[in-house]
Amino acid sequence: MNSLPIDRINTHDKRFCITYPLEDASLCASIQKIGIILPVILLDTSPFIAVTGFKRLEIARQLGLREVPFITVDITEQKALLFAIHDNIQRGLNLVEKAHALERMLHLGFSPEELSDTLNILGVNSHEKIIKALVELASAEDSLKHFAVAHNLSLKNIQRLLRFEVNERSSIIDLLSTIHVTESTIREILEIFSLIKLKNDALPLDIFPSASSQELLKKLKAIAYPILSSLHEQLHDLRRTSALPPNIDIKVDPFFEKEYIDIGIRANNEEDIYQALEKLHRLTDERIIRRIFDLTKGNLR
Amino acid sequence: MISQKVTFVEARGNIVRDCPGTKNHICCGYKTIDLVEGCILSCSYCILKSYINSPDIKITRDYDYIFSQLNVAMEKEKNHIMRFGTGELSDSLALDQRFDLNRPLIQFFGEKKKALFELKSKWAYIEHIRDFLNPYIIISFSLAPQSIINKEEKKTSPLYKRLKAARRAQDAGCFVGLHFDPIIIYPGFEKDYEYLIHDVGRILDLERVIWVSLGLLRFPPRLFEEFLEKRRKNLLFGEFIRGEDGKYRYIKSERIKIYTMLYNQLKSKLDSLFVYFCMERSDVWKAVTGINLDNNEGLIKLFDKRIHDLYGGAL
Repeated sequence: MNSLPIDRINTHDKRFCITYPLEDASLCASIQKIGIILPVILLDTSPFIAVTGFKRLEIARQLGLREVPFITVDITEQKALLFAIHDNIQRGLNLVEKAHALERMLHLGFSPEELSDTLNILGVNSHEKIIKALVELASAEDSLKHFAVAHNLSLKNIQRLLRFEVNERSSIIDLLSTIHVTESTIREILEIFSLIKLKNDALPLDIFPSASSQELLKKLKAIAYPILSSLHEQLHDLRRTSALPPNIDIKVDPFFEKEYIDIGIRANNEEDIYQALEKLHRLTDERIIRRIFDLTKGNLR
Repeated sequence: MISQKVTFVEARGNIVRDCPGTKNHICCGYKTIDLVEGCILSCSYCILKSYINSPDIKITRDYDYIFSQLNVAMEKEKNHIMRFGTGELSDSLALDQRFDLNRPLIQFFGEKKKALFELKSKWAYIEHIRDFLNPYIIISFSLAPQSIINKEEKKTSPLYKRLKAARRAQDAGCFVGLHFDPIIIYPGFEKDYEYLIHDVGRILDLERVIWVSLGLLRFPPRLFEEFLEKRRKNLLFGEFIRGEDGKYRYIKSERIKIYTMLYNQLKSKLDSLFVYFCMERSDVWKAVTGINLDNNEGLIKLFDKRIHDLYGGAL
């Protein structure tokens, strides 16, 4: 296999690079142990431009390798980009890589039919909104791309993040990066952030450091949904005051919409039932139950 | 100018239907006639976007088919006075001047004398049907403060034109309906609604307003995302929860507060005004009006009484 000094390759020219991220610890360990096995493909220009093998070239540079195995191709730029896309396709591209592929295809002037065919192969719907979001993602800042790949974010959540200004989403990403979040929690958090921004024209990001996603959500809801949060607090206080034993459960609609409450009693014998009923009588006499009904009926104090 | 494609389609299935209503919310038992599907007015909050797949407008003009379904529905109903309308999947009047769709129905109900037919609209043009109007036709307008019309109902008629068209309908011998729906919470909405109700009292003969509906903004979940995306500040200003029917609606305490304010203002103009809530819970009814309604039947009876009071034995 022929090798080429790395300095004969213009490694800054990334016009065919769709790979993200270029860092790959396991590939690095492998190259360190047995070197580069597969040759990189280079466009036959002077200096050479990489078509595939960007991770290998990046790792070679980091490891101080002087030469890499290569093959050259003499093809059009459009063809070279298709080589780059199809070279990576079998491993499954992440959304950022699909966005890069799309953005570079648009840049190289692919026809709508060619674009649609390739997007179809990549499993991307060619709806206008999706194209727009992917193009935006391709040119977004690195922190967003990194977060999207690390959390395997859906395009919907990426679109939600893209609605914020760069500095706002950078703060949001910093915040989310410190806690454990699932895709659905991210959706909920981003929706509330959007709502707060819409209502207040600004995000009070400085008050949000939180230990968990639940704590963060609670703080956000207190801002976005003050009445509902207040109802929950009042209910919490009433539950505390009522000191319910573990075998009695009072269930209230989380949105305080339903007019009724559900009261459950777990009993092992008749005595448990008598005691539970006695407790419920007492709570009724003390007007605790009345106050819970007031919350469900929208009678705020 | 109509931007959507208008197609005439063959009538199929049930064109005359019960208003769908939603779980655990009291429905007035309205019957809908799906003469037109789709709307040219494109109000920002419109839920038709969620219900109808195609952006095109579909019009059914098989009147014999529609009349036969209306006859069956009227024959089946023995206990209540029926109310029909074409404003469920479209605006009743927005396309009417151009396609003359309602006239056959207006004549049908005028001849039948058994039920009421309501034309519900934000489009204030009734001159083309004025000569055909009869006592069984209710001309209704959705009402909102002009600031909301400017921002959220951009293609509709201005408020003063709607009120003047309603007055002309009254002068032509019709009862009119008023629909404060959707009522939107935004900064300063209380004052705007106070002025709006004042204008209603000033321009219309309230004795000839057959009903007034109040309905605070509600919408299916997919519109929440759309409102956020399009930065619809007015629409998302209030505090929403998910109702039992899955729709977003303002939190109950706010609904009660706002309904009480509007209900009292309307009643202060004319105590006998018939005011009802569109798709509300029984406890909200009770809190605002003091009326106990356990189910749809209770509200339908209130409508029967209202119509009987106004029409006597004519229906």
